[in-house]
Amino acid sequence: MQGRMKNIMVLLLVAGICLCGQAFKLWSLKDQVFVQAQDTMIALEEAEVLHFEPVFQGKKIGLDEPLRNSQMDSLAMHTLRFYLSNFVFLKKGRVVFQEKSSYHLLDLEDKNTLELKFTGLGNQDFDHIQFKLGIDSLTHISGAMGGDLDPTKGMFWTWQSGYIHVKLEGFSEKCPTRNHAFQFHLGGYLAPFQSVQTVSLSVPKRKNLLLQLDLTPFFEQANWSEKHTIMSPSKDAVAMSKMLANSFSVHAE
Amino acid sequence: MRNRTIEFSILMFLAFLMLSTKTLRWGNDPIELEYPKNWPKPAYDFSNNPLTKQGIELGRRLFYDPILSRDSTVSCSNCHLSFTAFTHVDHALSHGIEDRIGTRNSPALMNLAWAKNFMWDGAINHLDFQALAPIAHPAEMDHSIEKVVQKIGLKTAYKARFFEAFGDSTITGERLLKAITQFELTLISANSKYDRMILGQEKFAEQEQNGYLLFQKNCASCHVEPLFTNHDFEKNGLPLDTSLNDFGRMKITKLSTDSLKFKVPTLRNIEFSYPYMHDGRFKKLREVVNHYAQTTALDRKIELLPNEKVDLVAFLLTLTDREFLFNPDFSFPRN
Repeated sequence: MQGRMKNIMVLLLVAGICLCGQAFKLWSLKDQVFVQAQDTMIALEEAEVLHFEPVFQGKKIGLDEPLRNSQMDSLAMHTLRFYLSNFVFLKKGRVVFQEKSSYHLLDLEDKNTLELKFTGLGNQDFDHIQFKLGIDSLTHISGAMGGDLDPTKGMFWTWQSGYIHVKLEGFSEKCPTRNHAFQFHLGGYLAPFQSVQTVSLSVPKRKNLLLQLDLTPFFEQANWSEKHTIMSPSKDAVAMSKMLANSFSVHAE
Repeated sequence: MRNRTIEFSILMFLAFLMLSTKTLRWGNDPIELEYPKNWPKPAYDFSNNPLTKQGIELGRRLFYDPILSRDSTVSCSNCHLSFTAFTHVDHALSHGIEDRIGTRNSPALMNLAWAKNFMWDGAINHLDFQALAPIAHPAEMDHSIEKVVQKIGLKTAYKARFFEAFGDSTITGERLLKAITQFELTLISANSKYDRMILGQEKFAEQEQNGYLLFQKNCASCHVEPLFTNHDFEKNGLPLDTSLNDFGRMKITKLSTDSLKFKVPTLRNIEFSYPYMHDGRFKKLREVVNHYAQTTALDRKIELLPNEKVDLVAFLLTLTDREFLFNPDFSFPRN
């Protein structure tokens, strides 16, 4: 009987030690949980929200919406997916906030991706926003990445390494292709076909900003019969990236 | 009797604690790559993908798993067999699912931590991204990384291995690629007769030594020691095969000066990596040497007497590393 009690005591002691170990593990995890909770609180209180929408002839447009340009061509957009990266907020030319790991994949098909939230700005004022349309060259050569950069997002070429900065697909009756489809996959990080673009925009006032991409110049381009497909880094990819980068603007919502 | 019950329940509780402790463990067996001191520093940035025992083992299992192909018939190892220096012998051009034939010879895989670009034309810029190409190519696995991630996510064994390797059972494209990379990074070949000669542990025979001198004079500017490649693209003097119309590096850079330039492959384990060249047009080492001795398409003429060709081949055979070829850590995971 005595021996058995001893056994139980020893077992209890071991159990106690194990419990202490587990408790310590949980305690160390607690910090992470707490930090995450804090981050969420900041996000709830002070996130600067940038809402994206594409426009055509001054009106907001959606996917598959029938459109007509000034030449009365019948047009539609089926896919709009693109990367915005390296967000920097400035006041009088000085950086007040630079987002870390700043990569955002916007997909017109997924509403959640069209609300860009920036935390950590605090109450700082800013009058300019700067970002890149696409992914910078350094990120390109740094190997596999997660999150919005994960290769499962369908925005990475498999036959030749490189992010697809912009996927813009749709229909124009003047395209001599199957189903009159146009397909623009804009990418390229090596000279002379680097197509990532820096966009710098002045901001009217803080809180609830609307980031617009005006697709009017894109849909008005006169040569649909010749330029309807871009699938690799090229001069045309660079030119179209420039045109799109110049079509962004920020407005108060 | 009651004491026995208490004892039993405490034991069960302990067992539970031990089990839960085990599941909390992940990726904490770091592995450092070992390579000869006279080698340069690897090009791969390990800080973005630190090697662990668990990550390497996961990568090895993915490498040998046909789940990566659309109809689950072809794995990486189909074209990259460990016993033949991770290439496909007897096949001039790589082939994939449904007996589809590709356009290039599958390269031997070794010492990849030092490689800066991949594929014969350097289309791939990082080892992490390399696996994306065969997975997606219609003549290889004809699949997509999205679908592979979905398929693997249905396998509990894989979820456990992803947890062990990355501390999270969620399977992502990034983790899948990085695990394959981890296994590939361990494929180091550094124990050939040549290596032992350099270390002074073994001596070359006269023929091998003569071949080594001929190699240094005629070949070593592109096939730079000790990795036997300059990691660059060079003209190999071969006429264009008009059934393939493969212009090599020019496809990527679109520069006419890069026309018919192909990546310089390593010569290590060349005894086992036949057929040779980007399109596998030569079956024998002798044919390769004959080509370089005959061609007038190169900037520099290589002149070799018949007996010198034999000596050169004798040297090339000293690059065979049996420890690498038959390393059980690199072969099909049996358990």
